[in-house]
Amino acid sequence: MPKHGMLIRITLVLAAAAAVSALAVAGAGAASAKRSSGSLTGAGSSLIAPAVAVWSQLYRNATINYAAIGSGGGISQISTRNVDFGASDAPLTKSQGEGCHGCVQIPWALTATSPVVNIPGVNADQLKLTGTVLANIYLGNITNWSDPAIKALNKGLKLPNLKITPVHRSDGSGDTYVFTNYLSKVNHTWKTKVGCATTVSWPTGVGGAKNDGVSAIVRSTPGTIGYVSVAYTIANHLRLAKLKNAAGQYELPTISSIESAAQLVKATRIPTNNKISITNPPKSKTFLHAYPLATFTYVIVPQSTSKAAELKAFITWALGSTAQSSIKKLVFAPMPGSVTKAAKKTLASVHS
Amino acid sequence: MSTYDAIGDEARRPFSGRRARLGDLSLQTVAGLAAAGAVSVLGLIAYKVVQGSRLSLSTFGLGFVRGIGWDPVHNHFGAASFLFGTAVTSIGALLLATPLALGIALFLTELAPRWIRGPVTALVETLAAIPSVVIGLWGIIVLGPVLREHVMPALHSTLGFIPLFGTPSPAGTGIFTAIVVLTIMILPIVSSISRELFLGVPTELKEAALGLGATRWEMVRGVVFPYARGGVAAAMILGLGRAVGEAIAVAQVIGGVDNLIGWNLFNGGNSLAAKIALDYQGATSQLEVSSLFYLALILLVFSLVVNLVAQVVVRRVARRQGLVAR
Repeated sequence: MPKHGMLIRITLVLAAAAAVSALAVAGAGAASAKRSSGSLTGAGSSLIAPAVAVWSQLYRNATINYAAIGSGGGISQISTRNVDFGASDAPLTKSQGEGCHGCVQIPWALTATSPVVNIPGVNADQLKLTGTVLANIYLGNITNWSDPAIKALNKGLKLPNLKITPVHRSDGSGDTYVFTNYLSKVNHTWKTKVGCATTVSWPTGVGGAKNDGVSAIVRSTPGTIGYVSVAYTIANHLRLAKLKNAAGQYELPTISSIESAAQLVKATRIPTNNKISITNPPKSKTFLHAYPLATFTYVIVPQSTSKAAELKAFITWALGSTAQSSIKKLVFAPMPGSVTKAAKKTLASVHS
Repeated sequence: MSTYDAIGDEARRPFSGRRARLGDLSLQTVAGLAAAGAVSVLGLIAYKVVQGSRLSLSTFGLGFVRGIGWDPVHNHFGAASFLFGTAVTSIGALLLATPLALGIALFLTELAPRWIRGPVTALVETLAAIPSVVIGLWGIIVLGPVLREHVMPALHSTLGFIPLFGTPSPAGTGIFTAIVVLTIMILPIVSSISRELFLGVPTELKEAALGLGATRWEMVRGVVFPYARGGVAAAMILGLGRAVGEAIAVAQVIGGVDNLIGWNLFNGGNSLAAKIALDYQGATSQLEVSSLFYLALILLVFSLVVNLVAQVVVRRVARRQGLVAR
């Protein structure tokens, strides 16, 4: 009967759609299923995922299974001990730290997020911005590219009379954490009104899903400004804007400007929980060419675990020079020695 | 009718052979397990969703449903804008898709030359097989800019006095774009079912109408539509269910604005399913995760209601058509 055939076909299509979405969810669960000796399972941040992918190819002593389910998901997976390690771009909050029952967070990679623009007549790396202007754009106080505040920074650049459309991430993201962390440091209104988190309540603008979504909107829409992981801007030929650091220099995210920002940890003491923020380094000769939107990303492990030996071996290797330089092409800068030292010290406290 | 039942009874009577009995028993076990599995999965999902949302339920109570905004920094969560987004996008898509789908179905059953019907039917059904993530990507890269450059300004300048068509979205994303994307996604469901329904209209009735001097349009209006009315309603509800639950494609084009409820369809917004898909991986506090479960609970209840209504409608129509057909 044709009617039955039809219904079966519809059912099959719907079932296939359901199966695909189920698979996406199962991705998180699959990590916990594969736990044999000689293998480590991890879950969390998607920012670090390409780096972990490179590492798992190079690392010989254990199989690394990593599920890029997002920082929040990684934290909850390690809190319930479903995985051997979690990964997060934002350091653990107080309640997350308590909920994880004796976890330590260890910085293991260094990268940045960066503003990108699409303004007719303005090429890549041409537009100059300050943190204050950036905050005012995202607060909705500056709404036109020909605003005097932007013109004053870009003498000689022809800026069109065009409405600004700020684009933000609509999913929870480590990039949003770094970006709002920076804006909170440079703008008091931002700090009190919006604050800093992986998801915030945006005063204005439109959202895009993940780095792809933000990139697609910025690329196809004149007048937009967005922020994306630096590895992504290079792969997608997005037009970067230069950002003024506290020393008054306009910087682009490069290995050296990110490394320079990371020098901040030498000047400040690293707390025992390793919570380090290197956004907006202060005005000083050391940070003359520091990029103000750089960030460390963390691996989170239980202090007491049966996998202690394997975890220590893998993370020690990841902190080493081979692993750190293997991800330079993804614009992860090698971590400074002081951070590596603090990381190793914390790692030493992990036991079985 | 009675003959059919007699055969049915015969078939149902247990076989005498031992082997046949074993076969019956194993069939019964396998089929029963499959049914029990489906039911228990539904039960488990419902249990998990309620359990997950407990913290948010006790913190916000029912006020959550009316609350606007999503602010993890200040621990303020509400479902109203997402509920609004889900309702507006799915109903909007249904309003756009239904006339189009009926047009397609009529064309394919009554108007098109016979040789064209097969290929067009197949193509329309292929539309249902495109993964939603692909439609969403196409929505951002192609559809969004087209709507932004041409459709939205045109609607705004001609129908701008209606608050629905306010200032066009600068990015081409928003509620309106989500409606268009959802329309494309539910179109094949509604049109395929309607086509089957129109095919089921007895030829004698149609020919009788034409024989009485009715024009083709009068025949369609007087015979085809009334005969298929209930079935089309069920098809619409199926389409609505699809639109309500769609997460990925909507997440890509709806604009991800969490704190806005307004008349302008060109504004950004967010829907229940899209918010859950977008936020779950990044949620950092217990309360935020629990609030996402609360959104899932609202969505689950919404979908269950849609499904139940569909079943009632289908059953009623089946009963009535049974009377008409015999």
